[in-house]
Amino acid sequence: MNAAALAWLRAWLGVVRLAFVLVAAATSASSYSARLRTTALKQFYFTAAQVLLPFALFSALPRLIITTITIQTAREYGLGTFALELVFRVLVLEMLPLLTALFVALRSGSAIGTEVALMRVSGELDDMQAADIDPVEREFLPRVLASAISVFSLTVISVSIAVLAAYFSMYGFSPWGFSEFTRSVGLVFNPPQLAGFALKTLIFGVAVAVIPIAAGLGATRELKSAPVAVLGGMVRLFFALGLIELASLAVEYV
Amino acid sequence: MAERDPGVTPIPRNLQFRVGLLIGATLLLGAAMLIYVLYARGVFEPTQRVILVADNVEGVSIGMDLSFSGFPIGRVHRISLADDGRARIEIVVPTRDARWLRASSIFTLERGIVGPARIRAYTGNLQDPPLPDGAERPVLRGDTSEEIPRMVAMLRGVLENVEQMTSAEGSLQVSLENLRVMSERLAGPGGVLSGVLGGDDQAKKVRMAIDRANALFESMSGVTRKLEGVIDRTDRRLYGENGIADGTQRAVAQINAILEEVRANLKRVDGILRDAQEVSGNAKSASSDLRALRAEVDASLRKVSAVLDEINRKWPFKRDTEIRLP
Repeated sequence: MNAAALAWLRAWLGVVRLAFVLVAAATSASSYSARLRTTALKQFYFTAAQVLLPFALFSALPRLIITTITIQTAREYGLGTFALELVFRVLVLEMLPLLTALFVALRSGSAIGTEVALMRVSGELDDMQAADIDPVEREFLPRVLASAISVFSLTVISVSIAVLAAYFSMYGFSPWGFSEFTRSVGLVFNPPQLAGFALKTLIFGVAVAVIPIAAGLGATRELKSAPVAVLGGMVRLFFALGLIELASLAVEYV
Repeated sequence: MAERDPGVTPIPRNLQFRVGLLIGATLLLGAAMLIYVLYARGVFEPTQRVILVADNVEGVSIGMDLSFSGFPIGRVHRISLADDGRARIEIVVPTRDARWLRASSIFTLERGIVGPARIRAYTGNLQDPPLPDGAERPVLRGDTSEEIPRMVAMLRGVLENVEQMTSAEGSLQVSLENLRVMSERLAGPGGVLSGVLGGDDQAKKVRMAIDRANALFESMSGVTRKLEGVIDRTDRRLYGENGIADGTQRAVAQINAILEEVRANLKRVDGILRDAQEVSGNAKSASSDLRALRAEVDASLRKVSAVLDEINRKWPFKRDTEIRLP
């Protein structure tokens, strides 16, 4: 029990330490080399661009259905005017960033974690350090940046789709709902809300890369340690995303 | 990564373009959303302020609508407590919607059972001068949740009354029963009469009474006809040819003639008495004359008495005389 708690604590400490190192690297201009850009571009491509169409579909169809159900149910209870607000607050501002982060975590977070763990197993990281190359700058920072941008980009796209879907679910193809719709949008998206939304999305994006990397670093030279490290990292990532969401909700509504 | 396993994840040649496209699209969408939100929040619109003063702003929140005719025309911008302990609700109204608010507008704050409180504006006359920027107006409060217990208590009383009225021995049931009996009677042989009078027997009596009255009228009209005949005849008898009046006239003429005769006879008595005085010595012959004269006077007087009797018999106004109608 004690050993497990200790290991848990050490893992989280590793995450926090890596996060600080990454922040330091991200804020130093010398980190942004051509090599970083190339790696980040590739990472971004595999995380976001390549899956954009399936993701857009994944984003649009269920949201259209959920939005329609929400609006119809609210109308049945005579609360039609609150339906849009409900959709915006629950679906757009809370669920979409979380789902996008989970999507990116499943697709890229796990890949990044495995990659880092394999680098550890193969001794690549040790070689880099021996060659006086900082793996943080060369391998980790571009991935973190790329995943943060990916999560942000996918969130913006899915939010746009969801807002459009909400309009069509509520008013169909009539243009006359626009002013009421605009009013609801203005009511929900106030500046603190938007700032919190952007910050939350950014933290999601960073967490999706940082936690798997920290977990991958926890692997040893033995091949068997890689799956254990990746698994632990994914579980931690899942909890971390949940905690971030809860924290943002608490800040907004409590 | 891709360079380690190119077979599984080939890197497209136009990688930079694709990524740039996606990032560009993201930025564009993000910017559009931001501008839309700012537009929705009325950042690009000129506004004016209305300050509502209330005793209690429970249920009012920032961002709440001010509605006019069901349309939101303004939004609560700030709620504060003034120095006099009254709450101030600052509402921002876009200038283009401010035309619905006039100097005479009334503002209400209502709390429903479900949903937030509502602030409503009512404008009776849209020709009034417009509400100036920063105007302060009192707000009228109506609280549904405060009214509910009172309403429930009233409703209970009403429901109890209804229950009493509709119970088996309730007045409503009795009335309905009466109505049913009445309508049955109306439909029955007695018709409306038995309905009004409460039974067939009474109705029958009324019908009989009417029949009798009809018969009575019939006989009375007969009597009237007879009476008319009687009066007619009486008239004829009294004033007609050879009627009583006629007879009376003739009798009077007769009496005059008889009185004339009596006077002549009395003159003769005067002459005889003068003769008698002249011939007082010859009493023997005179007394035989006197006897004949007396018989003559007696005869005249009897005639007068007979005429008077005749008049009395014919004259209808004598007290004891009965007029016998034929």
